[in-house]
Amino acid sequence: MSIVGKNISYEINGAKILEDIDFKLNQNEIVSIIGPNGAGKSTLLGLLAGDILPTSGKVFYQGRELESISIQDRAFLRSVMSQSQQIIFDYSVKEIIEMGWIERGIAKYSGNFSEAVTNIADECDLKKLLHRKFNVLSGGEQRRVHYARTILQLWRHSNSNDERFMFLDEPTANLDLYYELKLMNSIKEKAKEGYGIGLIVHDLNLASIFSDKVLLLKNGECISYGEPSEVLTAKKLTEVYGIPMKVNDRTKRITYY
Amino acid sequence: MFELISKFNKLKFINNLQLLIILILVVVLFISLYLGISLGSFQISFFDYLFGNDSKLQQRVFEEIRLPRVFLAGIVGASLALSGASLQGLFRNPLADPGLIGVSAGAALGATLVIVLGSSWVPSYIFGPFILPLSAIAGAAFVIYLLYLFTKGFGYSGITYMLLVGIAVNALASVGIGILTFISTDSELRGLTFWTMGSFGAANWLLVLPAYIFIIPAFIWLLNSARKLDLLQLGEPEAIRLGVDVRSLKFKVIITSAIVVGISVSLSGMIGFVGLVVPHLVRLIGGVNHNYLIPASIIFGSSIMIIADLLSRVLIQPAELPVGLLTSAIGAPFFLWLILRVKKT
Repeated sequence: MSIVGKNISYEINGAKILEDIDFKLNQNEIVSIIGPNGAGKSTLLGLLAGDILPTSGKVFYQGRELESISIQDRAFLRSVMSQSQQIIFDYSVKEIIEMGWIERGIAKYSGNFSEAVTNIADECDLKKLLHRKFNVLSGGEQRRVHYARTILQLWRHSNSNDERFMFLDEPTANLDLYYELKLMNSIKEKAKEGYGIGLIVHDLNLASIFSDKVLLLKNGECISYGEPSEVLTAKKLTEVYGIPMKVNDRTKRITYY
Repeated sequence: MFELISKFNKLKFINNLQLLIILILVVVLFISLYLGISLGSFQISFFDYLFGNDSKLQQRVFEEIRLPRVFLAGIVGASLALSGASLQGLFRNPLADPGLIGVSAGAALGATLVIVLGSSWVPSYIFGPFILPLSAIAGAAFVIYLLYLFTKGFGYSGITYMLLVGIAVNALASVGIGILTFISTDSELRGLTFWTMGSFGAANWLLVLPAYIFIIPAFIWLLNSARKLDLLQLGEPEAIRLGVDVRSLKFKVIITSAIVVGISVSLSGMIGFVGLVVPHLVRLIGGVNHNYLIPASIIFGSSIMIIADLLSRVLIQPAELPVGLLTSAIGAPFFLWLILRVKKT
């Protein structure tokens, strides 16, 4: 099963932000959305996650129109990590992570709440930070806390095979190299567990190594969509980014300086 | 004690320390209730009353003056604190307060309208004593709706912006009250000064009981939104992604605030700063999550108001300070301190 965007376009006051995009995200799959600033990447993510409605075209979750799914039900199907707003009050890190816990109304889940939070904090290396105030953390640490929250939102019993999708808008922004790699590996792990993951990323090498498919956007149009080796070619990238790009034939490493 | 609490604390979003604080606040509330009932220019022993050892006069003072007054102070304090806590959460703004953003002024304007014009427009037998509270609620709701329009659906437009809107709304309401004062008769004027300074002197059971009947369900209604207010702190889009119906949450917080502040102002006049100060004190003691903040603010606001009323009665005996003057005298410096603190971060 999958999330599908069919011919989606989005306009603001007559200005085209996205035009006629087709998108498909399957389970066990990582799809990276790449492109220069203002290409419409975050808008596309917002449309797929259901934050905004497309001007034309439709988004389907498991064959159902997204519009017909209540916002409560959507919260169980997909989680979103975006560029977050400032948080005014002094919540602790633990409280911020726990905000990802959506009430399931079923007693069998509630018993696992603290276990789930502890496991995820462990998984994201946040155990030492749990009782710190969120607002005093560095930008990178805050991103990691939000990532943990995004995972907790989709937490299920290990024997559950519910379908789940994650949308991540530049999850590696502000992270140091260690945590960048750790987070990308965690995403890969989630995809293996059955998640479908839509990702906006600026680092083309990360996109090339970790994704199953890549969508290249420019000025709201899809330039190319497919396997990393088909999309991330020197010719296409040079054309889209406006700087000379080289792709190493053997290692597939992309260089631009 | 602490272990006992952690054993029984099956609640997910409130920690053991917070539960302990709430229990202590309940004890403090009972102490203030006891003090509020016993002390005053007329000493009454609660235990004498309980065992029937008091005079007829003492009994009447106790049942018809002291008790309704203390209960009114309690529910008004709770209402203002709850409204402050939930509005601060909704606006994601630590400076929100029913007084500062003009909600209390709107309620007072509604009440003033009825005092001065009401008698000639609405025959008193239609709503009887309830026309005043109803009109105050309408005034409060109207101001909150204005704020909603000006802040584009409570989108985060910065602390200064909302306070400026509040100042403008307050000014407009004062103009309205000013005009009404100008055209009022002498007896109406006495009623009007009561609104602007705040007092629990007019408490009687006929008005206090209905206040409890409306306000307590509003409390309960809002309490189950506490967690949604937490999620809202992540920003509106995030809250929606986590399954929160943000529109209905806004509606709920606004309507509850209008009801509880409208009723409170209609019964006791404008009492400033309680809604601002109490939630901040509660946050300083135990944390910011709304599952703790809202019940703790209700309980603490109630005790603080009972004590403030007690002080207003005993400080310059046998005369009485308007309680609104007292709370503003303490609250305004606190507000200044808060602005300095917010500016730093």
